[in-house]
Amino acid sequence: MFDVMVVLPLIATGAGAILIMLVAAFETFRKEGLSILGMGLFAFAFFVQLTVDNSGDITPFAGVFNGMLVANTFTKVAGLIILACGFFSAIAAQTYFTQNKGFVPEFYCMLLFAAFGMLLLTMVAELITLFIALEIMSLAVYSLVGYDRRSVVRSEAVLKYLMLGAFAGAFYVMGVVLIYAGAGSTRFAEIGATIAAYGFLANPALVGGSLLVLFALLFKAAVFPLHAWVVDVYDGAPLPVTGFMATAVKAASFAVLANFLTIDSAIHQEWLIFLFYISILTMFAGNLIAIGQNNIKRMLAASGIVHSGYLLIALVALGSEQVSGAIILYYLAAYGIATLGLFVALSYLSGVEEKRTVFDDFRGLAKVRPYSAACIAVFLLSMAGIPPTAGFMGKLYIIAGAYQAGHVVLAVIGIVSSILSIWYYLRLIVVMYFREPEDDFAVAEMTLAPLGTMVLAIGIFAISLYPVAW
Amino acid sequence: MLDNMLSVMIFLPILGGLTILLLPFGRDAARAIGLAGSAVVALFSLKLFFSFDPSVVLAFVEQRPLLESFGISYHLGIDGISLLVLMAAGLLFPLVYLLFRTRDKGYYGNLLLVQGAMIGAVCAADMVLFYVFWEIMLLPMFFMIGLYGGPRRLPATIKITIYTITGSLLMLASIVYLGLAHHAQTGQWSFAMAALTELSLSGPGATLAFFGFMAAFAIKIPLFPFHTWLPDAYTEAPAATTFVLSAIMAKIGVYGVIRFVLPVFDESLVRYALLFSWAGVISMLYCGLAALAQNDFKRLLAFSSASHMGIIALGVFCLNLQALTGTLYQIVAHATSTGLLFLLLGLVEEQSESRQIDSFGGMASRAPILAVFFAVAMLASVGLPGTSGFIGEFLIILGAIKFNVVIGVLAATTLVVGVCYMLWLFQRLFFQKPGKSTDRCRELSLVEAATILPVIVLIIVMGVYPQPFLDRIIPSAERQIVKVVSERAAVAEHAPVSNQFQEQN
Repeated sequence: MFDVMVVLPLIATGAGAILIMLVAAFETFRKEGLSILGMGLFAFAFFVQLTVDNSGDITPFAGVFNGMLVANTFTKVAGLIILACGFFSAIAAQTYFTQNKGFVPEFYCMLLFAAFGMLLLTMVAELITLFIALEIMSLAVYSLVGYDRRSVVRSEAVLKYLMLGAFAGAFYVMGVVLIYAGAGSTRFAEIGATIAAYGFLANPALVGGSLLVLFALLFKAAVFPLHAWVVDVYDGAPLPVTGFMATAVKAASFAVLANFLTIDSAIHQEWLIFLFYISILTMFAGNLIAIGQNNIKRMLAASGIVHSGYLLIALVALGSEQVSGAIILYYLAAYGIATLGLFVALSYLSGVEEKRTVFDDFRGLAKVRPYSAACIAVFLLSMAGIPPTAGFMGKLYIIAGAYQAGHVVLAVIGIVSSILSIWYYLRLIVVMYFREPEDDFAVAEMTLAPLGTMVLAIGIFAISLYPVAW
Repeated sequence: MLDNMLSVMIFLPILGGLTILLLPFGRDAARAIGLAGSAVVALFSLKLFFSFDPSVVLAFVEQRPLLESFGISYHLGIDGISLLVLMAAGLLFPLVYLLFRTRDKGYYGNLLLVQGAMIGAVCAADMVLFYVFWEIMLLPMFFMIGLYGGPRRLPATIKITIYTITGSLLMLASIVYLGLAHHAQTGQWSFAMAALTELSLSGPGATLAFFGFMAAFAIKIPLFPFHTWLPDAYTEAPAATTFVLSAIMAKIGVYGVIRFVLPVFDESLVRYALLFSWAGVISMLYCGLAALAQNDFKRLLAFSSASHMGIIALGVFCLNLQALTGTLYQIVAHATSTGLLFLLLGLVEEQSESRQIDSFGGMASRAPILAVFFAVAMLASVGLPGTSGFIGEFLIILGAIKFNVVIGVLAATTLVVGVCYMLWLFQRLFFQKPGKSTDRCRELSLVEAATILPVIVLIIVMGVYPQPFLDRIIPSAERQIVKVVSERAAVAEHAPVSNQFQEQN
C-alpha cells in the first residue's frame, strides 16, 4: 500500500494527462474546466508527494519495475518542486489564455505529461529508464513550445529545440551504449560496483560514455557550451511554457545530474575539473548574454544560464558534504519561486499577444499596479540574492558549500557573478519604479495569476528561513 | 515589553513602513504613522540610554535559534558602542517627519523601513543577522533617492547601489569565511559575534576576509578612495534622505569597523592600521579641499560630511583608547551637527528651490533663528570648544598624535580647512547683500524651531558636560580594544601603550 503512495504522484500526472486528453474530446469541457482540472491534478499530486515519508531509499514495486525506480527524500523534494512549478505554470496558462488566442485543450495534457516525465527522471536508477523519462519530458515540452503552429516564432523555436534536443538524445543513447559496453549493465548500482572494482579511468568506454551522458544532461540544464539554444527557445515559447521550462525542466535536469554524478565517487572526481571550468564559463557566458538583452523573457532566459552556473558550483562541491543535495534542491526551489513568479506576473502583465515584453514597456508599472510591481521587485531581488529573500539563503548555502569543499575560487567567482547580475535585475526595478507610466496595464478580466503572483512573493520570504539539513 | 525592547524597536518601524507602503493611505496619514512610530522608538531609545548598564558586556540580550543547523540565531544585544549609534538612529528620525510635511506616502514608508533596518543592524549580535539588516537598509535608500531625488537622481541611484552591493557581497564572502573558520576550529557552526571574536585568524584567507569587511564598511563610511558615489548621492537625494545617509548610515559603517573588525581581525587590523589611517587623513584633506571649491551648498555639505567622516575613521585606526572614545563621541556629535546642517539647508532648498550659494546672501536678517541654529550646528561641526564636536575631535587628535605624529599633525591642520569652508559658507549665505533666492526663504515656524531646539540643546550639553556619555562609552571601548592594544604592544615591543591605557582611567 505504501508503494502505491510513493508512485501515486506519477500515476496522478500520467493518468491525469490521459484523462485530460479524453475529456478534451467533449465540447462541454472547455477552457475553464480543463485548466481547473489541470491545476487540480497538480495540486493533488503535490499533496500526495508531501504526505509520503520517503526517508531512506525506497524501491517501489521492486518486482514489477525490476528496481528501476528509487525514491528517497531527495526525489521527494525534487518532485515537490516540479509539481509546484507545474501548478503555477497551469495558473499562468489559465490567465495567459484569457488574453491570448490559440488555446488548445491538449495544452494541460502536455503539461502533465512533461511533469510525469520529470518525476520519473528524478526517481530513475537505470540508464534506459532515464532515457525514456528524458524523452517523455522532452517530447511534451517540444509540443508545448510549438503548440501554436501558425506562429512563425514558435515554429522556429520548436525547430531549434527539437533538432538540438534530438542530437542531445542521440548523444545520450551513444553514451549509454558505451557505458553498457564498459560495465555490462545499465543499472546505477551495478555500474557503480564495476567502477569500484576495476576503476573508472581503466575503462575508456566508461569514460567516453559518461562524458556523452553528461553532455546530454547538461544540454537540458542549459549549461555552457550547450546553452546557446536557451535564449531563442525561451523567447519563442509562450510565456507559461517558458516559465515551466525555466524552472521544472531545470529542476529535473539538475536532480538527475546529481543522481548520475553520485553513481560512484570516481565519476564525480574525474569530472570535477571539467565541471569546475564549465561552471565558471556558464556564469560568465550567462551574464554576458543577459546584460545585453532588452527583452525581459530573453533576459530571464540568460539569467537562467547564470543560475545553472551557481547550481554547478553546488554540484562540484557535491560528495565532499552529504548536504549538497539539500543545497541544490533549496536553490532550485528559491530560483523556481522567483522565476515562476516573474513568468506568472508577466502572463497577465504582458497583455494581449504578449505585446509588452521589452524593459521599456514596463515603465511606471509601480504607479499603476503597485502590488504587481512590488511582487516583481521581490522576485528580482531574490534572484539577485539580496536578504532576507530565499535567493540570498540559497547563495549563502552554495558559497558556504564551495568554501568548505575547498573551492574558494569558485566561491569568489560566484560572488563576482552575482555582482554582475545585479546590473540587469536592477534595470527592471529602475524602469518600473523610476519612470513615468504611459500605459494603463489593462488586464483582460479577473484571473488567477495576480493571486498566484502574491502567493509566490510570500513564498520567497516563507522559505527563506526554511532550515536545510546540514 | 522590556524583555524584547530591541525587537520592538526594530520591527515597529518596519511593520509601520510596510503598512504605509502596502495599504492605500493618504500622505497625511502616512506622515502621522511615521511620526508616531518614530516617536515611540525615540522614547524607547531614551529609556535604553538611561537604563543602560555599562558594566555588562551585552545588554538587553534576546536570543532565539533561527537556522539551528547553521548556527545562525536571532541574537540581539547592545553595548556602549551600539548604544550611541542606536541613539542617533532612534532620536533623530522624528525630526524628519516634523520638518518635511509634503512628501509622498511612499517616502514616509521608506523612512520607517530604513529606520527599522538601521536599528536592526546596530542591535544584531549575529553576523548573518547583521548582514540581513545591512542589506535591508539599502533598499529603502535605493527607492528614496531614485523616486524622490533631484533631476540627476537615476545615475546617482545606480552608482550608490552598485557600490554598496559590491561591498555587501564582499562582506558576505567574508562572513561565510568566518563561519567556516569557526567550523574548522571548533567543529560547530556559529555566526555569533562573541564566538567569532574567539577565533585565531591568520594566513592569506584571513587577510582577504579582513579586506572584504573593510571594503564594505569603507564604502559606507565613505573612505577615500571609495567615496566617489558620495557627492552624487548626497546631492541628488532629497534633504531628509541625505540627512539619513550622512547622520546615521555612514556611522553604521564606522560602527561595523569598531564592533566587528576590531575584535575579530585584531591581527590584520594592527598590520594595516597605518594604511587605513592614511586613507582617513586623505579623505579629510581631499574632501575638505573639494568642499572649498563648491558652489552648490548641498554638495559642499556632502564633501564636508565626508571630510569629517575621515576623522572619525582615523580615530578607529589609531588603535588607542583616546582615539576610539573620541570616535564614538564624534559619531553622535557628527550625527547631530552635520545632520542638522543638512536638515536646515534642506528646508532652505525646499523653499527657494535653489542650491547655488551665489544666489543667496543676507539670510541672517531675514531668518535670524535659522541663522542662529545654523551657526550652532556649524560651530559644533568644526569643533568649537563648548560644543559636542570639540570633545570628540580633541580626543581623536590626541590619540592620533600618540599613534603617529605625522598623521596627528596633518589631521589637526586639516581641521583648519573645515573651519575655512564652513565660515565662508556661512558668510556667503547669511551675510553679504541679499541675493535673488533669499526672498523666497522664510523664517523657521514655531513648530520647526521647537523641533530643532532639542538637538541644539543636545549639542551644547554634550559639549559642556560629556561625562554621562563617556561613562557609557569607555567600558565598552576598553573591552573592544584591549586585545588590539596588547597586540600592538607585542608588535612594537615598548611599554607606553599599556601606560596610555591606564592614564585614561
